[in-house]
Amino acid sequence: METLREIVDPHFLLRNSVYVSLLVGFACPLVGMYLVLRRLVFLGVALPQVSSCGIACAFALHSWGIIPHFEHGENALAFAGSTIVTLAVIFLLSVLERRSRGIVEGRVGTVYVLAGAWSILLLVKNPFGEHGLLDRLKGEIIAVSDLDLGVTAGTYILVCFFLWLFNKEFLLISFDRDMAVTLQKNVIIWDTFLFLLIGLTISMSVLSVGPLVTFGFLLIPPLTAHVVASSMRQFAVIASLLGGGTAFIGFALAYAWDLPVGPTDVVLLGFIYAFVFLSKRMVTVIGRWSLAHQSERSAGFSPPQRPNR
Amino acid sequence: MTSEPLISLEHLDIGYDQTPVLRDVQLSLERGSFTGLLGANGSGKSTLIKTILGIIPPLAGEIKFGRIDNRKPILGYVPQREVFDPIYLVSSFEVVLMGASRRVGPGRRFNSAEKQFTMKCLQQTGVANQSRKRFSQLSGGQKQRVLIARALATKPDLLLLDEPTAGIDAAAAEAIMELLVSLHKDGITILMVNHDLHTVRRYVRQVIWLHQGKVLAGTVEELLSPQKIEQILELEIS
Repeated sequence: METLREIVDPHFLLRNSVYVSLLVGFACPLVGMYLVLRRLVFLGVALPQVSSCGIACAFALHSWGIIPHFEHGENALAFAGSTIVTLAVIFLLSVLERRSRGIVEGRVGTVYVLAGAWSILLLVKNPFGEHGLLDRLKGEIIAVSDLDLGVTAGTYILVCFFLWLFNKEFLLISFDRDMAVTLQKNVIIWDTFLFLLIGLTISMSVLSVGPLVTFGFLLIPPLTAHVVASSMRQFAVIASLLGGGTAFIGFALAYAWDLPVGPTDVVLLGFIYAFVFLSKRMVTVIGRWSLAHQSERSAGFSPPQRPNR
Repeated sequence: MTSEPLISLEHLDIGYDQTPVLRDVQLSLERGSFTGLLGANGSGKSTLIKTILGIIPPLAGEIKFGRIDNRKPILGYVPQREVFDPIYLVSSFEVVLMGASRRVGPGRRFNSAEKQFTMKCLQQTGVANQSRKRFSQLSGGQKQRVLIARALATKPDLLLLDEPTAGIDAAAAEAIMELLVSLHKDGITILMVNHDLHTVRRYVRQVIWLHQGKVLAGTVEELLSPQKIEQILELEIS
């Protein structure tokens, strides 16, 4: 209780980190929904890794003097690297998808493993790799400046606004692409726009909390929400609230027990998913049992007696 | 009913990835007609429908549309119901409402008139009582009716249906065919893919038969008489 009071205090030293965690928690599940619905869960794993690779790439180019130094430009550099590389990979994957080259899972898996390998190589060859960059790739959730918070909040508000505004179009092209074509919708433009929003959210999230946590918030809240939701609106609201709530509680637990925030959040999401899934299964089994029991009683059926020994 | 063509296919090659399934197709679909599209699996029935709808680009040739009230005809599409992923938590009402998307611009919400029209389409196809139920939980016949309602929500001039009676019981299939007959009487032109010769013979007037890369077109009497069927199948043997 004391920890919670401390965290919600407006003068709390790490308040910006709490706010960024909450923003990631609320926003990531809203774009992650579309990855789950389109059965692109692997892409949800690969894109944060690609985004990390983009950050490593930008810093490597900077350290080799290819990108000039500018004052307080670290975050802008990281954001630019992350966003450009993520969007370029999304574009490449969509082109390959349209041309039906190879297997989808194969392409996404290759992208994931290559992005991971390149991140490590660029990190090793970067003289500044030991400082800052490694923390950034893990997710620099501790030190968040007011400017970073503002940019993150602004980006997520914009993403959420567009997701809300064009919900009808995004749902149509995801649910029935062919129908969208017959309704004269330009599915390529809408797909590109949706993946631009997904890429932007992932880039921003990886900068704030790292690839592992981004993946966790992209997928586990929507998967959990899908177990209990009965409409698309409920699905979005539950996933987002679950993400935000878990981010807050995870931060509090990590702060109280001196644990890293990101992994604490992900483990907590895992526990919630397991709990919700098992509870739902139990309710279903009890419901079926009770229904069968009722119908047996109404039919006057009596269970066979055990023979006396 | 007039005999003015609603759609003319001129020297059309259709297929995927530059591999033609049908070559040099020349057909016209008359306004107000009820046409059955027959053929074996892989003969190109669905590919032909998807090409007419603009989902698959033609490899060669041209599709010409007749004008209705000085505009291109609106095409309503009823796909095979198995293509829908049950992961989507959409109700029957929401599925049908998607049909109104053409009239509601990007970023705009469906107004009450569109919602009322959606309910009317559900009533017309006899599934208004299922409007709140999740689409994935409906039976095969109910799903088919919802998809027809969605096509009606587009206010179509031509309805293209891809195997609307496949995999559903005889009673439900008959009810769907009766529904299509009543829609046809209301003035909608219909092109329907169907495997079942008996159904086609009973309900439709014109037939397009895709057979071994050839496109045969005519009336039911011309193409589906026992002698003609025998003749077509003898072609296959020889």
